[in-house]
Amino acid sequence: MLAATLAKQLGGFALAATLEVEAGATLVLVGESGAGKTTLLRLLAGLAEPDEGRIVLGGRVWLDRAAGVSLPAWRREVGYLSQDYALFPHLSVRRNVGFGLRAQGVRRRVVDDRVDAVLGGLGLADLAARRPDQLSGGQRQRAALARALVLEPRLLLLDEPLSALDLQTRRAVRGELKRTLAGLPCATVYVTHNPVEAIAFGNRIAVLEAGRITQVGAPDELLRRPRSPYIAEFMGVNLFQGTVGARDESGLARVRTPFGSVVAVDPGEPGEVLVALNPRGVTLHLEPPAGSAQNVFPGRIVELVAEPPFGERVRVALDSTPPLVAEVTRHAVESLGLREGLEVHAAFKATGLVPYR
Amino acid sequence: MTWRALLVRVVAALAITLCLALIGLPVLALLLRVPAGTLLARLADPLVLSAVRLSLVTSVAAAALIVVLGTPVAWLLATREFHGKRILEAVIDLPMVLPPTAAGVGLLLAFGRAGLAGRALASFGISLPFSTAAVVMAEAFVALPFFVGAAAAGFREVEPRYLDAAATLRASPGTTFFRVMLPLALPSVLAGATMSWARALGEFGATITFAGNLPGVTQTMPLAVYIALETDLEAAVALSVLLVLLSLTVLVAVRALPLGPAALRHARRDPR
Repeated sequence: MLAATLAKQLGGFALAATLEVEAGATLVLVGESGAGKTTLLRLLAGLAEPDEGRIVLGGRVWLDRAAGVSLPAWRREVGYLSQDYALFPHLSVRRNVGFGLRAQGVRRRVVDDRVDAVLGGLGLADLAARRPDQLSGGQRQRAALARALVLEPRLLLLDEPLSALDLQTRRAVRGELKRTLAGLPCATVYVTHNPVEAIAFGNRIAVLEAGRITQVGAPDELLRRPRSPYIAEFMGVNLFQGTVGARDESGLARVRTPFGSVVAVDPGEPGEVLVALNPRGVTLHLEPPAGSAQNVFPGRIVELVAEPPFGERVRVALDSTPPLVAEVTRHAVESLGLREGLEVHAAFKATGLVPYR
Repeated sequence: MTWRALLVRVVAALAITLCLALIGLPVLALLLRVPAGTLLARLADPLVLSAVRLSLVTSVAAAALIVVLGTPVAWLLATREFHGKRILEAVIDLPMVLPPTAAGVGLLLAFGRAGLAGRALASFGISLPFSTAAVVMAEAFVALPFFVGAAAAGFREVEPRYLDAAATLRASPGTTFFRVMLPLALPSVLAGATMSWARALGEFGATITFAGNLPGVTQTMPLAVYIALETDLEAAVALSVLLVLLSLTVLVAVRALPLGPAALRHARRDPR
């Protein structure tokens, strides 16, 4: 298991994060570019030195600034895949994958046997003699993974491993990579800014915002109880941040946000709360609806985005107060004649809104 | 076309012509004076032959010495920041602008019999001046910056991501240098070694000052040319043509190496 606490000041940017990953598990690290994801990986790998911190992996201390301990990268049993894979351009795939074993003085015949086994397992046996520039993006990614895995790392760090691939390749490689990672005994930290990848790969997701970890949890928890506007945006849900206002006998309460107020389930006590709303719970109407929905907001459609893969569902963003995103079927879009600029009414029930702190 | 534009063109054309003539005419003159029938016979003359042999041996030895001593310096300049780095760079570059005769005087005062280090060497029975070793030292002195500059530029162009990858693949800094940095910078290192060899081959001033002009011991090709000029013009021409051909071959060969932009800038500095 990995336990790390790291702090580093970089100009005006401060990174301070604590991470825990069980052996055999994958922690997905998400965040906007510039949030410090790559820096955090480099600190874990030993490619950068923190101002303060401690890294313990399976009882072995890699770093303890207070005690003056810091193993260099090459003494840590770490596997690191950078975004561009960094395969050595002057070496064949076989020599690339065998590099780490040769660097440790393992004899060439033993190296070749182990390399061939790993290449075979990843479907690269036929490409062993090629140079990196003769490989496709997906093959390069597999070769870089093979190069790291042949050393049996105790911590595997993947920095946006699919971002260098085109869309079609990405889908195929994603499934394959997921199967490979699932069978590994090491702790894995997987950096991405893609929600689909985050949910596909993470037993747990940690969110990094401006150098701080704002939430760690299972994908479902982030979906139901996002702790920041960025997380809500990332997971594709609406989030209201506000204070509990007027409460009534039916068990409902008003939550006042800086951009208007919504009716939600009474949290029982006053104070600051968060309320998440799944866009699928929002219905759109051309006239003010007469139904049972306690929350109705008029607004103009600012954007319509068809959801992949088939566009059967469409996300509709409104400039209402508060701003809302609804997810409706393509059928609804067609029958209501939804288009950008159209004035509509968005409605959702209070009973689905459970405030949390 | 305006008068001004025409004037600019004429001046530019004149400058280009004069510039090419400055370098091209002497080469042309040399080639025209080649004693066609007797060139090979001239080069087979025992005195000429010993100068050629001595030049090749000393220049290759100087280049080897430079590569061994200069590679760590180039690595240091390319990868580390430290106090006095600028001063070290200036000192390494000094032989490039210093008159070689002044370098020879310096070498004599340092390693001569009564020199700073020379006295210590003498107590071990080692005397450097006027020996073949002194020729190698003089050549290494003036040719060192050509190698260090090119090799450092090559090391600087190796992308850090490859070095990071090597580190996470359990390669020690030494292994990373020999298995990743050096192979990736090899074209620049080879270019630097070749240019420094070519510079060593043409060395004159420092050699004649520090090592003297002893046929078979310290009389290299450039020295032989200078001496022959007074006694045997044809031998001087033959040797000069040989030097021109060798130098030109080196320059063309270096341009065929796959160099990065910064390494190219260094390699294209003329070796004389």
